[in-house]
Amino acid sequence: MALLEISQLKKTYGTGEYALKGVDVSVEAQEVVALLGLSGSGKSTLLRCVNRLVEPDSGQVVLDGVDIPSLGKSALRDARRTMGMIFQEFNLIDRLTVLENVLAGTLGVTGTLRGIFRAFHGDDIQRAIELCERVGIIYHIRKRADQLSGGQRQRVGIARALMQRPKILLVDEPTSSLDPKIGREVMDLLQEITKEAHIPMLVSVHDIFLAKNYSDRIVGLQAGEKIFDQPTSSVEADSFDQIYHEAS
Amino acid sequence: MKENVSLAFDSYRSDEMRGGLWKFVGLLIFIAFAFWSIDVLKIPIERVLGMFGRLGTMISERLLPPEMAFAAEDRVVDSIIETIEMSILGAVIGTIITMPLAWFAAWNVTPSRAILYPLARAIIVVTRGMPTLMWAMVLVAIFGFGPFAGMLALVKATIGFAGKLMAEQVEAIDMRRVEAIRATGANELDVLFYGVIPQVWANWVGIIIYNWDAQLRNSTILGFVGAGGMGLYLREQISIIEYQTAMAIIVVIIVMVVLSETASHFLRHRLY
Amino acid sequence: MTDAAIANPLRDPKETFRRYTIFGVCAVFLLVIGKDIIIDETDWARMGTLAEMVKTALFFVPEWSFFPQTVGPLLETLLIALWGTILAVTVSVPIAYLAARNITPFPVLTYPLGRGLIILSRSTHEIIFALIYVSALGLGPLPGILALATRSLGFLAKTTAEAIENADPGPIEAIEATGANRLMVFCFGVIPQIFPIFVGNVIFQMDINIRRASILGLVGGGGIGLMFAEVMQNLYYGRAGMIVVGITAMVVVGEFISNRVRQRLI
Repeated sequence: MALLEISQLKKTYGTGEYALKGVDVSVEAQEVVALLGLSGSGKSTLLRCVNRLVEPDSGQVVLDGVDIPSLGKSALRDARRTMGMIFQEFNLIDRLTVLENVLAGTLGVTGTLRGIFRAFHGDDIQRAIELCERVGIIYHIRKRADQLSGGQRQRVGIARALMQRPKILLVDEPTSSLDPKIGREVMDLLQEITKEAHIPMLVSVHDIFLAKNYSDRIVGLQAGEKIFDQPTSSVEADSFDQIYHEAS
Repeated sequence: MKENVSLAFDSYRSDEMRGGLWKFVGLLIFIAFAFWSIDVLKIPIERVLGMFGRLGTMISERLLPPEMAFAAEDRVVDSIIETIEMSILGAVIGTIITMPLAWFAAWNVTPSRAILYPLARAIIVVTRGMPTLMWAMVLVAIFGFGPFAGMLALVKATIGFAGKLMAEQVEAIDMRRVEAIRATGANELDVLFYGVIPQVWANWVGIIIYNWDAQLRNSTILGFVGAGGMGLYLREQISIIEYQTAMAIIVVIIVMVVLSETASHFLRHRLY
Repeated sequence: MTDAAIANPLRDPKETFRRYTIFGVCAVFLLVIGKDIIIDETDWARMGTLAEMVKTALFFVPEWSFFPQTVGPLLETLLIALWGTILAVTVSVPIAYLAARNITPFPVLTYPLGRGLIILSRSTHEIIFALIYVSALGLGPLPGILALATRSLGFLAKTTAEAIENADPGPIEAIEATGANRLMVFCFGVIPQIFPIFVGNVIFQMDINIRRASILGLVGGGGIGLMFAEVMQNLYYGRAGMIVVGITAMVVVGEFISNRVRQRLI
């Protein structure tokens, strides 16, 4: 069975718009799946339904045997700890240092008292520094997050997600706010790390190049529906064309 | 690469410890200050614990329910009207005085940087610093009881409150437009009316409304020291230990303030 | 159409008429009020002549030699203001948490509760709070501190709640995604964002509270207010003048210091 199994996921927004019209996606244990689609196709919504930052209206999301939408608050928090999320806008805490931002990844497990006073465990600090080294920002760990460039910030975001020792990475358009060259560096980094640590990834992109070069399988989304789902090597040109032309 | 990591780790830890030490020292100083304050102010710290219970029973038994009928009595209603009238008059007269004062107190357009500017600034700062209720007591000593003293107190409050805000607005204008008018050879007054005022007028109207709201709040309490308005009855009822009628006045005050704030908020936002 | 309409296109006669009528109505309104307040309600007979008024006013010239005796009460006022603000800060954070639409825990209950407390705090004069606390706790600085705190928490909670509502939801989402609990999300996602605004507002309130604290003594809340009431009652107007000067000076200096501090923080 796949590590992440999404079935018939539906989401409507208050305005009556259908964001997701019954989508099925599955991610195997060491797979990188790309969600490809234009803005508004539902990719962000789909990702956010997995960790319930957005509540799905119906459908199943089963991660490692656990159905996420049915979990209560506390169990949901436990589940979220196993899912690392990386955001398009980085979503760092600007006033805190890089290291503190990375350590924020442990907030699911760091005790409340320790958290308030930012007295993280020594082991966590050690690991955070190691991760910073791995993603290439170790010389910036004392800087405030808002003093970093876009590419550096996303690296912090990656380190933060990895701090959680996640079972899966949910990545929302990681390079859309970055220059193409920096974007590719970040994608290279993500690819290396997930291969090293054997972590599967569900990435949303709207750039064919990224989808083709960084994924094992591509799922095409358009207006909330899945229009194809194939291994990257066998996706044909007209599948891509379908995505990039408006549904008539 | 391992050295990088352990170096970073060690330096972070030692910084953390040093930071923690300072925070701890700070906390100790704060606690010492607290104890010193309790001593100097002679706060009966032992009684603090029973305090909330006493407060609760006192409020529920002696203050509530408020005897609202009192607020409907003729003399009280008259005083409410007097409160409102006093606030309007004080705010209007105060605003008329404040407008030129704000002009003088704005560094960028004041006609005299050497004399009028510091003088105007000083007046605004001093009138703001002086507690209005104290000033009202002084005015009552000079002018006797009644709304006249209260109105003058509100004039002072307006100068301090609106003066600062209006002067800030003037200092924030685009000077290029002022220079453009000056360049046509206009005199200072024309520069004021065609270059400055159009730019600040919208904000000033907002400030005028905001000020009236603030002065209404003040005017409700001025009567407490004899300067006119409904505050008088608050004091009167308390002095005869009629707490429930005093509460009636308080309720009316709160309602008036909430209404005026809603109105002022609404007006100010509709103007933009 | 007459020549007049073409001659001055900027002056619309209807608009001008409208303006003058509004102006006129306001002027009449003000005159009516003025008559009421100034002429009817004021006891001109008791006030005496202008000369007498001036003479009384001159009594208020500060009696400088009285200054040393004001120092103690002034410092007490300062302490009351300080602790009142500290207490207000402590209480306003949880209230802001309740009153912020985006993070309030039980919107139907806690949001109106938070907002209601804020409204109550901001609409009631500190004298009223002081009266209530004094009658429950007796005279002294403690009821004064409580009264100040109750009065200030409204502004702090309101501005903080607004800052929370305007906070960038991105970082908040990110912390939620790590599986952190509500408190952690608040501490890491919200507080760092609102911190600068919060500190600025605290400093602002501290200033205002010095002024407020000075009058609490009038109703038994400690500080210089009591001394002021006494000297006024005993007609020691020179001393009263000295007190007014003293408190005004303290407030002005306090404002100056706090402006500098605020500039350094930004």
